[in-house]
Amino acid sequence: MTPEDLRTVNPAEVLLYGPKKLLLDQYVWHSPGVGIIGAYEAKEKDTEDHYDVFRGVDMIEAFAQATIVSMGAYLERAKGKYTDEELREMFLPLFIGVGNVSFHHYIKKGETFISMGHITFYKFRQMSCDGRIYKVPPGLDLVDYFSNYTDEKLKNYELAPDFKLVANLEGITGRAMKKETLKNFI
Amino acid sequence: MENERQEILNGLIEVLRTVRTVDPARLENVTEETDFLADMNTPSTELINIAAKVEQKFGIEFEDDDIDRLGSKVKDIIDLIILARKRAAEE
Repeated sequence: MTPEDLRTVNPAEVLLYGPKKLLLDQYVWHSPGVGIIGAYEAKEKDTEDHYDVFRGVDMIEAFAQATIVSMGAYLERAKGKYTDEELREMFLPLFIGVGNVSFHHYIKKGETFISMGHITFYKFRQMSCDGRIYKVPPGLDLVDYFSNYTDEKLKNYELAPDFKLVANLEGITGRAMKKETLKNFI
Repeated sequence: MENERQEILNGLIEVLRTVRTVDPARLENVTEETDFLADMNTPSTELINIAAKVEQKFGIEFEDDDIDRLGSKVKDIIDLIILARKRAAEE
């Protein structure tokens, strides 16, 4: 049975990525069909050989995992009435496109950031999201903070002033493709 | 059959004229062999938008799996429109 939203779900159960490539710790807010907020703390593995700073390209990947891949999987699961296991067996998430991305700040090892994305297009298993990444004030309980968040607040990026804007992302686009179909192309 | 394909091609060109990323100059010599990606430089992300607009224009519905299998030539989308019409008629 599809959960009401992804807030109580472990991202590792939804996404295909193994622990070295998963860049999402937790869903902190989700409005199905509208948008989502996911959180991640930059780990040693993410910043090593990169002067303890989380790479910009990984921010785009983290944003994509938290938004288009997670919400695409959720909606496809609901539509096809699949289990997470069946979904992982049948589909692969493909990165299709990246629009304008601008960076305003950076994330260091041990710091937590949130990816806030809202859906701008979803059809034929292809989803585009616009959104932002913010650095989270240390020690904040994110689930509690976002417990009364709304679609409107998401679209306006309404946050306390101590959240620091890290990146602005537009047109992050991905598609769930049946593994069976991909065999014909690879 | 030929008439149907030509009618669809004409309608498809009308759809393409509304797509911002399609250069109108490239629509002058479109044939069934024209490739959206190679000949028209259409971004791959745009193909889904085009398919969505085609559904509206022709009053048909594609299935998700149709789009997975869709090639990038004009003839591929014409074939798909004909298939979708046939499916709708059989329902």
